[in-house]
Amino acid sequence: MRGLTVALPKGRLFERSLQVVEASGLRFHAARSDSRRLMFADERSGSRMILVKPVDVVTYVEHGAADVGIVGEDVLHESGVDVLEPLTLPFGQCRIVVAGTPEQRNANLRLMTNLRVATKYPRLTRDHFARRGLSAELIALSGSVELGPAIGLADLLVDVVDTGRTLRDNGLVEIETILRCAACVIVNRASQVIKSESVNQWLAQMQIASSQ
Amino acid sequence: MTSDYERQLPHGLSDLFFAEAAQRTALESGLAETFLRWGYTQVIPPTFEFYESIAAEAGTQLREELYRFFDRDGRTLALRADFTIPIARIVATKLYDQPMPLRFYYIGSVFRHEEPRAGRRREFTQAGIELIGARTPAADAEVIALALEALRTIGLREVRISIGQMAFFKALLADLGLAPEQVAQVKAAIERRATAQLESILRALPMADERRHALVQLAGWRHSERWREAAHALCINAQSHQVIDELTEVVERLRASVQADNVLSVDLTALRGMEYYTGVVFAGFVPGIGYDLVSGGRYDELIGHFGKACPAMGFAIGVERAMMALPAQNARLGPDVVAEACAHAECYEQIVAARRAGERVLVDVLGRSGGALRAYAQSLGARVLACRHKGKICEG
Repeated sequence: MRGLTVALPKGRLFERSLQVVEASGLRFHAARSDSRRLMFADERSGSRMILVKPVDVVTYVEHGAADVGIVGEDVLHESGVDVLEPLTLPFGQCRIVVAGTPEQRNANLRLMTNLRVATKYPRLTRDHFARRGLSAELIALSGSVELGPAIGLADLLVDVVDTGRTLRDNGLVEIETILRCAACVIVNRASQVIKSESVNQWLAQMQIASSQ
Repeated sequence: MTSDYERQLPHGLSDLFFAEAAQRTALESGLAETFLRWGYTQVIPPTFEFYESIAAEAGTQLREELYRFFDRDGRTLALRADFTIPIARIVATKLYDQPMPLRFYYIGSVFRHEEPRAGRRREFTQAGIELIGARTPAADAEVIALALEALRTIGLREVRISIGQMAFFKALLADLGLAPEQVAQVKAAIERRATAQLESILRALPMADERRHALVQLAGWRHSERWREAAHALCINAQSHQVIDELTEVVERLRASVQADNVLSVDLTALRGMEYYTGVVFAGFVPGIGYDLVSGGRYDELIGHFGKACPAMGFAIGVERAMMALPAQNARLGPDVVAEACAHAECYEQIVAARRAGERVLVDVLGRSGGALRAYAQSLGARVLACRHKGKICEG
């Protein structure tokens, strides 16, 4: 598996991603140190790892700047990029849900005109409401989406939940699940053809490493 | 009042000049030359047509991306989004009784209202061919071999071609009576190789375990030297075996003509591309570029949409993408000769003679002479053609 560029996401998924990548046989020394380096080499296999924001993992892989990457399916589906996604990983499980105040759980969304939805996931949210024939006004926020309904900026929110604690702490309840997600491996379409041997070998080892 | 827009271009368009413009033109001529040498002649469809023609068989996504507008009678028109659909219309309505097969090439702009990404803009250039009226492995192999040859002759090395077969997927779903949305879901999961997602989709669909297993295996497809055995192992009916046998013949014919190892791979999950594809499909890649430079496929039902049915296959090269893959050319754009502007007939004859000899001759319309003219010519890397009546007064 010579010469692969692997994009890993900073943040929530980083530690587990690095573990499984190392178990697959790639070694990136100093990747855990607190230095500000963003690129690490595995001299032995001629591979390198780049460390980028989760939303940027998909961009690097779509353009082939990285051959493969690990990213949450929530980020992947929100981005709408055109990549291969051959392997789901056994970590980073979460759900994208619609949530609101307890009264809204029983409200009929179809009868609510001017439905305002706060979210970090405008694409998934728009698609979800559109599929149900509901017109929702999206309020795009970059974080603390729970504040939206709590403070009256929005009627509902669409956000990722892990344990659901943040929702509860802000007096909100889940209304429905849009998508179940986990971390997954993505592969650039050209790399799958140009570097097929390296990519396939690495995928096979990732499969073994991630099922241990 | 000036508008904010008058100095801008719409999103996704670009201006080309100097070396880039020259490079693109050179690339187009190189491609046209190759197509001609393989016996293909040019077809030039109009840039826009009735919306109904352009949207025919375009598929939901491409239809959404069409640039539409109205003529003065209120009819809806659309800019072409590819060449294959206009050519299918031309063949079905005007050329159906010509001796087959027909071989056409085209080069020109197509227009799609999509988010500019992956080296593609809203107006981009396609150069491609259509081989019409033949449904044989030899025809499939010729089209793929020509795509490879075209990319090689414009200077791209290490081209890799990935070959798929739409009919294989169709054969695996044959006789199930699935709704179009269900087929689309299964197809989307397979073509993204999303095995886990596919498993959960298939659980909800009525089919035998053998078929379910074959589809999941298909999503996990990896090309190898023994691809043929692997493909036959996925077959669940006579139809699917037959499709693989035909594909094998195409690949074997190509192996004989391609003359390089590791150029071809088979990818049965390759189900993307135009919605009108029905058979062998393929895409070409080069190292360093993350997207396909060429893609094509067999479309045996498209021409019949406009009239008499006729099998066909073709491909389109993304010319801008091919340019991205080539090193920037330092083609010399300047003149070979800078001539002094005078009005003597014999001086002018010299200019004409130099141009006829193939030199690029620029006449200095700013009227420089002597040292100023020499300095100007030197700055352009050109020699000087001075007036032969130096010191005399030019007449006329």
